[in-house]
Amino acid sequence: MVKFLKPNKAVIVLQGRYAGRKAVIVKSFDEGTRDRPYGHCLVAGIKKYPSKVIRKDSAKKTAKKSRVKCFVKLVNYQHLMPTRYTLDVDLKDVVAVDALQTKDKKVAACKATKERFEERFKTGKNRWFFTKLRF
Amino acid sequence: MVAAKKTKKTHESINNRLALVMKSGKYTLGYKTVLKSLRSSKGKLIIIANNCPPLRKSEIEYYAMLCKVGVHHYNGNNVDLGTACGKYFRVCCLSIIEPGDSDIIKSMPGDH
Repeated sequence: MVKFLKPNKAVIVLQGRYAGRKAVIVKSFDEGTRDRPYGHCLVAGIKKYPSKVIRKDSAKKTAKKSRVKCFVKLVNYQHLMPTRYTLDVDLKDVVAVDALQTKDKKVAACKATKERFEERFKTGKNRWFFTKLRF
Repeated sequence: MVAAKKTKKTHESINNRLALVMKSGKYTLGYKTVLKSLRSSKGKLIIIANNCPPLRKSEIEYYAMLCKVGVHHYNGNNVDLGTACGKYFRVCCLSIIEPGDSDIIKSMPGDH
């Protein structure tokens, strides 16, 4: 009886173009809205995972391999698989529902989440989130 | 092997409690609504039939783990569970939302 679809929860997208990708919930709308009368949430996820970085890589190669490509999307709860992991990255100021209205706002939001994800990846924390789900 | 052998007595008592919930409480039947009740944290006890496909069973157990809700593995298949609910169809999983007069929530959840 504990609510678990809360911000900072790591989830896996199950349907759509981003099926199989890991994402983090930024904002959840349990009751739904006028346009979407079902429970859904705004997620920020990884479109392209960073590659495996090895010790013998040069700095330039490490930088290239640590790149993360992101997406921002409104997803129905039914199309998500929640996990027991969380990702404490503050994305509330960067990603908002109005960012999905126009293309350039969306691109700006994705760019900002890309920076946050990349710096989190470089610290080596939340390793599960940045590894590709094999299926 | 005492734990593995489910006595007839406890099995009947579950059926009785379930019948009481059907009469006086709120419940939902079926996989989709069970997940919905778990997501909205309305479910208080989940009952899964023994012939539920293992992937589906694990998925419901995982959601219940996140929710901290008890799961009871019913000693019978979906046909039996449907009959226990007083329905004429098969029920693979069900979620109890309000137990009503029944004490099923207090007496069952210890068991996995």
